[in-house]
Amino acid sequence: MSVAFGVIRDRQDQLFLHLEQTYPSHRVLRDKIEEPILWLRSPDELVPMIEALRREPATQFDRLSDITAYDNIDHVDGPKRLIVVYQLYSLQHHTRLRLKIAIDQDESVPTLTVVWGAANWLEREVFDMFGIRFAGHPDLRRILMDERFVGHPLLKEYELEARQPFSDSLPVRIATGFESPEESH
Amino acid sequence: MSDSITTTEPRQNLSDFYNPNVLVNLGPSHPAMHGTLRVMCRVNGEVIEDSTCEIGYLHRAIEKLAENKTYHQWIVYTDRLNYCSALTNNIAYVMAVEDILGIQVTDRCMWIRVICMELSRIIDHIICVAINALDMGALTCFWYLYHWREEAYTMIEAMCGMRLTTSYARIGGMSYDLPDNFDELMAKFIKGLPKSLDDVEKLLTTNRIWTDRTRGVGKLTREQAIDLGVTGPCLRASGVDFDLRRDRPYYTYPELDFEVAVGLNGDVYDRYLVRIEEMRQSLKILKQCMKKLPKGPLWVEDKRVFIPNKQDVYTKMEVLIHHFKIFMEGIDVPPGEAYNAVEAPNGELGFYVVSRGGPKAWRIKIKSPSLLHFQSFETSAKGSKIPDAIAILGSLNIIAGELDR
Repeated sequence: MSVAFGVIRDRQDQLFLHLEQTYPSHRVLRDKIEEPILWLRSPDELVPMIEALRREPATQFDRLSDITAYDNIDHVDGPKRLIVVYQLYSLQHHTRLRLKIAIDQDESVPTLTVVWGAANWLEREVFDMFGIRFAGHPDLRRILMDERFVGHPLLKEYELEARQPFSDSLPVRIATGFESPEESH
Repeated sequence: MSDSITTTEPRQNLSDFYNPNVLVNLGPSHPAMHGTLRVMCRVNGEVIEDSTCEIGYLHRAIEKLAENKTYHQWIVYTDRLNYCSALTNNIAYVMAVEDILGIQVTDRCMWIRVICMELSRIIDHIICVAINALDMGALTCFWYLYHWREEAYTMIEAMCGMRLTTSYARIGGMSYDLPDNFDELMAKFIKGLPKSLDDVEKLLTTNRIWTDRTRGVGKLTREQAIDLGVTGPCLRASGVDFDLRRDRPYYTYPELDFEVAVGLNGDVYDRYLVRIEEMRQSLKILKQCMKKLPKGPLWVEDKRVFIPNKQDVYTKMEVLIHHFKIFMEGIDVPPGEAYNAVEAPNGELGFYVVSRGGPKAWRIKIKSPSLLHFQSFETSAKGSKIPDAIAILGSLNIIAGELDR
């Protein structure tokens, strides 16, 4: 078990208290190893919230670790279908924070490419695997799957063995600018 | 008669054919590309003005499989992520599952895991440095270092029976204890490798050709590296003093004495220096580990995950039933989630596990360092030459297995 100890554990507790006090109307939880989780109420809050978390001396989340999502088809985490997850890390305090947003399949999330360059491929992967649209992303198209692929493989209704083999590869496309997500299906 | 040809046709110069936008395709199957990576470069003369990467050629749906296999069955898939440091992948994954189960592994197990992780760091860095040098024509370093990689693999084979795809870790313990002759094997390794490292440093560090080829090549500034999510030796080479082993200590790292190597310029040369120094520090850690390695039980006393001894399985009925349940049904992991990251040889390797109860995970996301490293290649290759691009790619040490998953 990798529960943080010593000074890191104290900082985790401080961060948790700080988040509870600063965002009283948000759900702030802790996971199995006491890392804080902050639930956003709507996708519109994302960029201002990240900017604030990045700026404030108490949090200073200056590094994006990962973006991912999971399917909430069993509605354990509320009525919405998908949960988008952001893993942040602070190089100053060495603390982690997980942001979560629940969305429906027809909703989109604002892109984080305006904050971190790293978000580019991470968001493309989430789009590829779950079909989540990131509004304002410069080049939202599939990354791991072929562009001719139909469906989004990490949704629970996608069957494990529904393979779609392609014997040839498409010419590489160089990103030209924003492309509407509808077209890239 | 030759006059008629020269006078009737207009004279053509090579410059009439000059095209400032030549596309050069590298990969996906190209001997210099280290796996199925594909890069399309727009080249003006010899200078890369633009490049775009395409990935997914080695996509094996490992995350989808995670939702369809039990927690134990999935350990073998972690070997196939970064196959150069499979031990670290095994351990990082079981750590995340143990986090959800609330299991604290035994002291001996922790020390063995630290030994495994440091050993695989050395192997991974050997591959990176040796292949990087090989790509630039320095063949001798490859032989010097690969000898010790073989020795390390012999050690790993003695530990778990496999060389490359180890599957050594188990949830709550390890599949086998260390072999009896492990002390001797390790002593030989710890004694022998520094000499080879010295030899390689003598051949490369002050070598005019090597420094000319690597200094100022593939530069990532401190800000760029953080912005692009680069981690591990590449981030440290850019001057960011960040190492999860020291900053977010896990297992027995707080008890170990080691230093974090930090570079200055973020170029290929600094990445090489950081990796060489990290190998020396890993050897230092291994030396301490061998001294401090405690005796005692390897497995945690927890009925939910304990894999019984084979001898008992054959002779006792209850144990047989227990064994059967663990392997046929899988272990029952309570609902919850955890994100656990370790300092893998390449950078931050994280496993985000979401459990909804039962023997299979609801979602496992692998945060692999290579994905973000390969993304940074588009930035760092700009303005360099085609042979430099190969040098940069080697120094980022991108492993297609964990890139495409």
